[in-house]
Amino acid sequence: MYGYRLGAIGIVTTFFIIIFSTVLMPMVLFNPKASGRGNDYNVIPLSVGDAARGRQVYVREGCFYCHTQFTRIQDRGYGPLVKEGDYVYETPHQLGTARTGPDLTNEGGRFPSQWQKAHLIWPRAVKPGSIMPSFSYLSERDMNDLVQYIQTLGNKRTVTAFVTPPDEYLPTTPQGRGLAARKTVDTASDAAANAGRGIYTQNCAACHGLEGKGNGPNAITLEKKPPNLTRDYYKQYPDEHWFYRISEGVTGTRMPRFQSVLTEEQRWYLVAYLKTLPKEHEETIDNLDQLNVAEPTHLPVLTKQVYEPHHGKE
Amino acid sequence: MLLRGDQGDVSSLESLMSQGKEPLKGYREVNSLAQTSLLDRFISAKKGSASRNFFLSALWWSLWGMGAGMLAGTEFSMPDLIRGVPQLAMPHLRMWHVNAVAIGWLSMGYVASMFHMIPTLCKCDLYSERLGNFTMWAWNILMIGAFCTLLNGNTEGREYAELGAILDVIVVIGLVAVAFNLYMTIVNRKVKKLYVSLWYFLGSLFWFPLVYVIGQRSFVALPGLNDAIIGWFYGHNILGMWFTTVGVGIMYFLIPRFTKAPLYSHGLSMLGFWGIALFYAPTGTHHILQSPVPEWLKAIAVISSIFLLVPVLTVLTNFFMTMRGKWGQVVTDLPLRFAVTSCMFYLITCTQGPFQATRWINWYIHFTQWVVGHAHLALLGTFSFILTSSFYYCMPRLTGREWHSQGLIRAHYWLKFLGFTLMMTSLTTAGLVQAAGWALGYPVDQWGLALAPYWFLRAISGFMIVTGQFLFAYNTYKTLFTPRVPADSTVKAREVKV
Repeated sequence: MYGYRLGAIGIVTTFFIIIFSTVLMPMVLFNPKASGRGNDYNVIPLSVGDAARGRQVYVREGCFYCHTQFTRIQDRGYGPLVKEGDYVYETPHQLGTARTGPDLTNEGGRFPSQWQKAHLIWPRAVKPGSIMPSFSYLSERDMNDLVQYIQTLGNKRTVTAFVTPPDEYLPTTPQGRGLAARKTVDTASDAAANAGRGIYTQNCAACHGLEGKGNGPNAITLEKKPPNLTRDYYKQYPDEHWFYRISEGVTGTRMPRFQSVLTEEQRWYLVAYLKTLPKEHEETIDNLDQLNVAEPTHLPVLTKQVYEPHHGKE
Repeated sequence: MLLRGDQGDVSSLESLMSQGKEPLKGYREVNSLAQTSLLDRFISAKKGSASRNFFLSALWWSLWGMGAGMLAGTEFSMPDLIRGVPQLAMPHLRMWHVNAVAIGWLSMGYVASMFHMIPTLCKCDLYSERLGNFTMWAWNILMIGAFCTLLNGNTEGREYAELGAILDVIVVIGLVAVAFNLYMTIVNRKVKKLYVSLWYFLGSLFWFPLVYVIGQRSFVALPGLNDAIIGWFYGHNILGMWFTTVGVGIMYFLIPRFTKAPLYSHGLSMLGFWGIALFYAPTGTHHILQSPVPEWLKAIAVISSIFLLVPVLTVLTNFFMTMRGKWGQVVTDLPLRFAVTSCMFYLITCTQGPFQATRWINWYIHFTQWVVGHAHLALLGTFSFILTSSFYYCMPRLTGREWHSQGLIRAHYWLKFLGFTLMMTSLTTAGLVQAAGWALGYPVDQWGLALAPYWFLRAISGFMIVTGQFLFAYNTYKTLFTPRVPADSTVKAREVKV
């Protein structure tokens, strides 16, 4: 009998050691402070839709079975990485465990609200081949709230700071003043950007992609993925910073030091081109009225005039 | 005591037993239809009735749970099959599927198995059949409540802990009632030494109610990531400290009995038991290995996941050595075939598990259908198979009736085995396609259509498994409700042999 008492004590002790280490210790030791980057459900006016209520709809409809809400270091195209403090007010957590559909961590603002609503009602109308169920049975209020919730996801998770170029690239130092004095390229001009386009295609597109979205063919082999240069974040780079990155590469990645390959002038052309890359999601609108409407063009009336090809002579 | 003591036979028997006197022997008939009161009819004190009723309820809910899983799987292949019916939308079906098979089919079947096996191993009667039958009704009411709420989306929004607060309370009441009933049975036992199955059952009945209470969080609101940590502590331990430990206990009970061979080593079985008790519980965080939770917690989870290989291989060595020279029996003995298949799937799932939990495999595999395949390998391949084996073993001994048709059992086996193999293959392959898609950073739109064949095969496999389960239910119905006298019955009403 004593042996079984010992066994019982053993089971109880083992179990409580485990409870202590994996339940109580995290509760005591792991108390992340709110980072200020968590989703803010009060940004969009409540008259449009109630994002906090939309979250309840999100939970009720079980969206988290197919959509996750945390970005990982290897994920591309899903926006900034999450931090511990981003989830302080997220109860129940909606981290999710399977991605049958895309990650929704920073989904807000990616698509117009009308698109989101159409997608909820009839997913295959706007995304052919999607296997998402149709949520057409949601009431108008539920649908609007859910769309507002989706539009708030990641709304505070924006980049607010970047590394400034070293002093020797800035006009505060003699080296920087010398660099500026040698600069003959107007990086705001179309001509310089055109000159930079070819340099970009030959040297950068293999990794960064033809459109600068970080999806070049080499990108799949790289552990640290090339950035998507069309993101809003890059629109705030000053010329010196572009020049510094091109010249010295990026430490810890495969981005090479192009100062050994390209002349200073070529690098400035490249800067001019990079500044003209389109801005991601620039077309995002909240209202169909904001859509760019193309002016109709009428074809010219047919005449008997004979078409004379231009031979380039005379 | 609750609902006990007003039945003359039982209480006098228990008083005899508590005084250490010899109880009545043989099959004890309490009922006779003429004097059946409502109490006797619904909360019967008849020997073995609680176990039988739990088994039948488990079978009933398995049809609903597996059917919902099949329908949800079909909607992956045909997303517009059902439109405008919220109760039949994929996420709602999935919630119900998981809860129906976990809380309904597997848990109720486990309770039923323990209600039969623990008295058999202790050579005594269940402490209170009345309490057992009362628990059975409470559990069924819980399942009806789950059916009504989950399909309407009344969920707490936490995976594996979807049930609402009231239903959680009923689950805890049910678990505590079952634990009390079985602990008292063991206290009243007639054999001194505890067989290893009893260790597993006792351990599970002690820690699973606690894990369930910790895991529900119905009455507390934790900050997001702490919620996730506790959630996955629970989410993994409903498997590790309930389905695995009770399931392995059932394997330890069944395999020596089917093969009529003694257990290979009781020392190894103890090593396996303590290994599982120690290493299984802290592994939960490997479900959120790439989220921003503390690194030390992830390290604990990964290390204990890898250490899990020790108890698993110990347990399986024990089973396979017990099977020495008896492998040929799987050809003729269908319940044994279910049990051996379950052991084989246990080997696969528990080799997969530790590798998936390492950071680099997790980096690639996580978020994909591979994991869904792994979950089905554990719950359907391993524990549903062993529960089916237990069902086929216990039911004739509880009711004194032979199985209606061996052919139907055979059909059930092959439909379930082939269906499951197909499901596992298609989900794993789909998972590898998805993993490649996520790792290369392509948007889902570009490779989503590549998964269509695997969704289709998964739907087919679900259909096969559900068909098998319906044949099983039909076989059980015919066995129990065909009026015939088993003249040449080869199975005794209750075989008490250790």
